[in-house]
Amino acid sequence: MALDKEQLLTLYRNMLRARRVDETIVKGIAEGKTASFFHSGQGEEAVGVGGCTFLRDDDYVYAQHRGHGIAHVIGKGGSPRQFIAEHFGKCTGSCLGIAANHYVEPERGMLGGAGTIGSAFPLSLGWALAAKKRGAGQVVVCFFGDGASNRGTLHEAMNLATLWKLPIVYVCHNNLYAQFMPIRDAFPREDIADIAATYGIPGVVVDGQDVIAVHEAVQAAVARARAGDGPSLIECKTYRFRAHAEGIPDVSHADPRPPEEIEAWKRRDPIKLFAEKLVRQGVATQEELDRIDAEATAEIQEAERFALESPLPEPSLLDGMLYAG
Amino acid sequence: MRQLPYLLAIREALAEEMARDESVFVLGEDVQQGAFFITTGLMQQFGPERVMDTPLSETAVAGACVGAAMAGYRPVADFMFADFMYIAGNEIINNAAKWRFIHAGKVDLPLVFLACIGGGARLGPEHSQCPESYIMHVPGLKLVVPSTPYDAKGLMKSAIRDDNPVVYFYHKRLLGVQGDVPEEDYTVPLGVADVKREGTDVTVVATSAMVHAALAVAGELEGRVSVEVIDPRTLEPLDIDTIVRSVQKTGRLVIADEDTKRCGVSAEIAMQVMEHAFDALDAPIQRVGAANLPIAAGYMEQYVLPQPKDLVTAIEAVTGRA
Repeated sequence: MALDKEQLLTLYRNMLRARRVDETIVKGIAEGKTASFFHSGQGEEAVGVGGCTFLRDDDYVYAQHRGHGIAHVIGKGGSPRQFIAEHFGKCTGSCLGIAANHYVEPERGMLGGAGTIGSAFPLSLGWALAAKKRGAGQVVVCFFGDGASNRGTLHEAMNLATLWKLPIVYVCHNNLYAQFMPIRDAFPREDIADIAATYGIPGVVVDGQDVIAVHEAVQAAVARARAGDGPSLIECKTYRFRAHAEGIPDVSHADPRPPEEIEAWKRRDPIKLFAEKLVRQGVATQEELDRIDAEATAEIQEAERFALESPLPEPSLLDGMLYAG
Repeated sequence: MRQLPYLLAIREALAEEMARDESVFVLGEDVQQGAFFITTGLMQQFGPERVMDTPLSETAVAGACVGAAMAGYRPVADFMFADFMYIAGNEIINNAAKWRFIHAGKVDLPLVFLACIGGGARLGPEHSQCPESYIMHVPGLKLVVPSTPYDAKGLMKSAIRDDNPVVYFYHKRLLGVQGDVPEEDYTVPLGVADVKREGTDVTVVATSAMVHAALAVAGELEGRVSVEVIDPRTLEPLDIDTIVRSVQKTGRLVIADEDTKRCGVSAEIAMQVMEHAFDALDAPIQRVGAANLPIAAGYMEQYVLPQPKDLVTAIEAVTGRA
């Protein structure tokens, strides 16, 4: 679908908001305000924002773990306040501080996530099975990283999703590294999208730094899924700007990641690229973009203040969480 | 009352719940035929959309059911042999068991993991295990181990209607066991033990197929030793109160469980009795279980699995009546 000016600016705003939340949590780690670990997603915002911003509220999203899904959460209309509060371990967090990094909002199709990479495939298969049974046109967008693509669960789930023509869109963030493991030593082909050929489903490679390219590829796959034609695989070539997790070495195997590689990718920052494009194409002026940035920054500063001022959860809260009923 | 074999009691519960609630469906390898005949005929009754055969994909089967449960359905995942559930350990232990807790109670997972346990068919170590203690160890999974057709049907209905992940282990040696099963709708609640036989000298807590061994031995010893047989029926939740009350009456406890003894269900039950009723014990607790070995296949199986004579020996040891 062709986007109008307001929609284009929404994509820009959502990427900025995701970046500001990520920066807030990175800062929170350094200041000792966070309750657990953090895997920054800076550099990969175009994938989550482009893939989620124009989905239906009742579509399901399995977020990729980088940035703990902040770009997907914001794209899907989730709350930065609850996201930050959760990372600060506060009772106003999305999971009341129990998860310290997950986001859940069933009413918006975000049913949560797992800490084990590769869980995305079987679980989102179940969401897609439910969606097909319900027959209300819901689609599942399952985001995963290049590391997760090495799990056997991908094969089991994609095989069944294709057999059953389930409404699912697989979106890979290929950021070239799984923790310290470079993809070139983890996968024998250039493109993870080639996996699609095994199942006879569409597999495309897009520039993961181009939010419009991601948006268009995902929307095409969503249309196919809603029409009952089954799954697709989209590989987004992207990059993480920071280490695998805050406070740990930024390495490839056991050597530092090449600084020139990091710098080259930072020149392709998805937010910067999109701003340049919007101005170049006359969609928005730099002043308009600056105003959006100021608004996003103010919003996330307020969300951080809200999280900092929120109380810690009561330990007794845990007793009611294990079982329903 | 009407008599039904154990396997038909389970099937009847599945059929009645599927008829009652359209969100119930069955997913698993060859469920349309039914390897143990538990699901046989359900496809003809409810159609292939609700009784879905899958390829050999245990992780996908488990995960699909966990996911579909989160998204509003009540799936039953059939693993055939419980041994195969290990393959889907991540989906069962990391995903299903922890999901509701981690997400602050905002997402319920009403589903059943169905599988066949136990030896006696000489099928070897990867087709004969009793993995109850693995499941019982994990917070977030309920665990059902019926020993009679009545309990099997009533507990299956409760398992399907429960809003949590429930592991339902039926025993392959019990499939043909006949018992009373009412025609009318009934359920057996999770977390309520059943005193299968009253007695005064010793409490035998037995699970699944070992209930039948305990009842047989109790019958043989009648007149010499008065044996009370308690079947917990569900191990999570565990009705420790009924067990403790019985031990307070008899002063002696034997626990019979088919799993390998080390770190088994019997270890947990014994320790809970120690915590709750140490003063009531007149003798050290005895355990009966499989040797700490893989379950051998063929003729060698009997030398690994617990035998009725082991139960007699244990009862004699705690009561001092050899």
